[in-house]
Amino acid sequence: MNKLLALPVAATAALSLSAGVFAGEINVGSVAGVTGPIAELVAPIVAGRNLAAEHVNDQGGLLGGDSLNMILADSACDPKAGVDAGGKVVNVEQVVAVVGASCSGATNGMVQSVTIPAGVVNVSDSATAPSITDLEDNDLVFRVAPSDAYQGAALAKLAYDSGSRNLAMTYSNDDYNAGIAQVFEQSFTEMGGTITANQAHEPNKASYRSELSTLANGEPDGLALFAYYGSSGIAIIRNSLENALFDKFFAADGMFDVSVIEQIGADNLKGNIQITQSASDYNDVSYQTWAELYKATGNDPKAPYAAHGYDATFLIALAIEKAGAADRSKIAAALREVANAPGEIVRPGEWEKAKALIAEGKDINYEGATGNVDFDGNGDVAGIYGVNTVADDGTWANELIK
Amino acid sequence: MIALMEFINFYLIPGVVLGSIYALGAVGITLTFGILRFANFAHGETMTLGVYFTWTLMQITPFHPLVILPASMLLTVIVVLGIDRVFYKPFRASPTIMVVMASFGIMLMVRSIIQFIWGVQLKGLVPGIQRPMLLFDSLRISPKHMVIIASAVVLVLAIHLLLSRTKIGKAMRAMSDSPELARLTGIGTEKIVMTTWVVGASLACAAGVFLAYDTHVETMMGFKLLLPMFAAAILGGVGKPYGAIAGGLIIGLVEELSSYPWIGTEPLLNPGYKAGVAFAIMVLMLLWRPSGLFRGRVF
Repeated sequence: MNKLLALPVAATAALSLSAGVFAGEINVGSVAGVTGPIAELVAPIVAGRNLAAEHVNDQGGLLGGDSLNMILADSACDPKAGVDAGGKVVNVEQVVAVVGASCSGATNGMVQSVTIPAGVVNVSDSATAPSITDLEDNDLVFRVAPSDAYQGAALAKLAYDSGSRNLAMTYSNDDYNAGIAQVFEQSFTEMGGTITANQAHEPNKASYRSELSTLANGEPDGLALFAYYGSSGIAIIRNSLENALFDKFFAADGMFDVSVIEQIGADNLKGNIQITQSASDYNDVSYQTWAELYKATGNDPKAPYAAHGYDATFLIALAIEKAGAADRSKIAAALREVANAPGEIVRPGEWEKAKALIAEGKDINYEGATGNVDFDGNGDVAGIYGVNTVADDGTWANELIK
Repeated sequence: MIALMEFINFYLIPGVVLGSIYALGAVGITLTFGILRFANFAHGETMTLGVYFTWTLMQITPFHPLVILPASMLLTVIVVLGIDRVFYKPFRASPTIMVVMASFGIMLMVRSIIQFIWGVQLKGLVPGIQRPMLLFDSLRISPKHMVIIASAVVLVLAIHLLLSRTKIGKAMRAMSDSPELARLTGIGTEKIVMTTWVVGASLACAAGVFLAYDTHVETMMGFKLLLPMFAAAILGGVGKPYGAIAGGLIIGLVEELSSYPWIGTEPLLNPGYKAGVAFAIMVLMLLWRPSGLFRGRVF
C-alpha cells in the first residue's frame, strides 16, 4: 500500500499554489478521501486512477500529445472537505473534469457546490448513494459505481436467502449509509422479512453499547449494519460480540476492509459476517485484461472500486479525446458517446487503439473493467455485486452474487 | 431485575467509562484555561499523540499498554513542553485570541505529522475482542473497563494530592484564581506554566490510551473528544479541575443514559443525536450558569 507515499503527494498538492495549465499538460482533478474513515480503501482506488492516466500518457497522450495530469486533492470523506478539495482543483488548478470524491456525502457536497455551478463534468468512482441519481446536475454528474438502490436490494436478498427473517438494523447518519439502509429495509420487508428495530447512530462515538442493547430487544437473528468501518462499524461489531448482543452481521461495502478482520479477529467473524461489494464479472475479458495490468502495479485487483477508479479516469480521457479539445463544456456530451453503444469496442489499456479510432472519426464504446459502463439518463450504470465472507485462512473471500 | 441489569451493563458502566475518559481530558483543558488563559484546541491532538507513542512502544516491547503508559506520558510531556517553548511562549503577553489561533494551528500540524509518520490506517492497541466476566449471573463487567475506571480513580487521586498537598499545586490554584495576586506573592509564573503542561499532557495521554484500549487507534480520535471535553470543562466551571472531573463524568453518563428507553420501549433520545447532548449541555450551561455547575465554589 502506498499510504506513506500518497500522503506527501496530497500534502504537496494541497500546498502547491502554482495555478494554470502548463503547455502540454491537461489537468484532471482526482478528488479522494485520502485521509478519513476509509483511507485504506482509497489508496488502491487512486492507484487505479493513476494507472489509467499512465496508460494514456504512455500510449501517445491526449489530443496532440499533451499529458494527462491527475491533480490529487483530499476530500477526507467529508462534505465540507469535499467542497474545499473540489474548489481547489476546479478553481485553482483549472481542471477540465473531476474524478471523485470517494464518499457519497463528500461527492454530493462537491458536485452541488463546485463542479455543477462551474460546469465541470464529474465522474464518481465510488459514490453510491441513491440520492446522487436525482441531482439537478445539467448532465454533468456521472458515476461508474452503481447506485445503492441495487446494492441494498442485493444485500437484502442475501440476508433473506441465508435464512434470516428478523433483523435489527442500524445506520450511520450520512448520505451513503442512510441511503442504502432505506433501500435495504424496503427490499427486505417486501421479501417477507421483518425489521425488528431500525436506528440511526452517530459515527465516531467511543461506545455503542446502549444503542445495541436497545436494538437487541425483539429477538432479531442478526444485525444489518450500515456504517463505514473506521468511524463506527468496527466499534459496533466489537461491542456486539463482547456483550453477546449480536453475532451475525450483514453489511455493505463501507464495511469491507482488512482492518475489520485485524481488529475483531477472524475466528470471531468466521461464518458470521457477510459484506456485499460492488464487483466486476471476473470472467469478463475486459476485467481480466485490466486485472493483469493492475496487478503489475503491486496492488490487489479485487480491492473495492479500484477498477471503477480506472474506468472513471479512462472514460474522462476518452471523452477529452472525443471532444477534440480540453474544453469543459464539451466533455459531458462526449462522455456518453464513448461510454455507450454503438461503436467499436475499446477495453482497458487500449488507449492507442481508441485514439486511432477517434482520429478516424469512428464511434467507440468503452467496455470497462467494471462492466459495460453504459450510462443511463441519470448518468448511472447498472451494478454487479459480490459477497465477502471470512475464509479459513483469515482473509476476505469474495464470491459473485448471481 | 433483567431491566436493571441491562441498564447497568449497557448504559451505566459504558457511561462511567466514557465519563472517566472525558474527565481526565477535561482537567487538562480546564487547567490550561485557568492558568494560561486560553482554550487549547490542540488538547485532542495531545491525546492522539500519546496514543501513538503507546502504540509504537507496544510494537517494540512486549508490555501491556498500562505498563507502557508512564513512558508514553513522559514522551507526550516532552513534546508538549517543546511545543510550548517554540509556539506558545512568544505569545505569552499577546491577546488571548492569538494564542487560541496558535493552538488551532498546532492542532492541525500535530495531526498531520501523526498522519504522516504513522499513516491513516486503523490500528488496535489490543486486537481481537474481550468478552466480559459475568458476576452474579447477569452483571457483565469487562476487565478492560475495570482497568480503565480503576486507573482513572488513581489518576484523579494523584491530581487531588498534587493540588491540595504540594506547594506547586497550591501555587497553581492561586495562579488560576488570580494571576496578578499570585505574581505579587512571588509565585514563579514559568514554573507553574510548565507544571500545567506536564499535568495536562500526562492526563490527556492517559485518557487517550484508555479510549484506544476500549476502542481502537486512529488519527482523529483525540479531535473527536474535543467537544465533549470542552463541554465538561464548562459544566464544571472553567479553570476548576474538580469541576472538570465532575463535568466529564456527568457528560459521559448523560450521553449514554439519554438513549435509555426511560419511557416505553423506544430510546428517549435517538442515539443518532447523542453527540448533540454534550453540545446542548455546553450551550445551556453557558446561558444559564456560565461560571459552572458549582458556581465557581469548587476549585
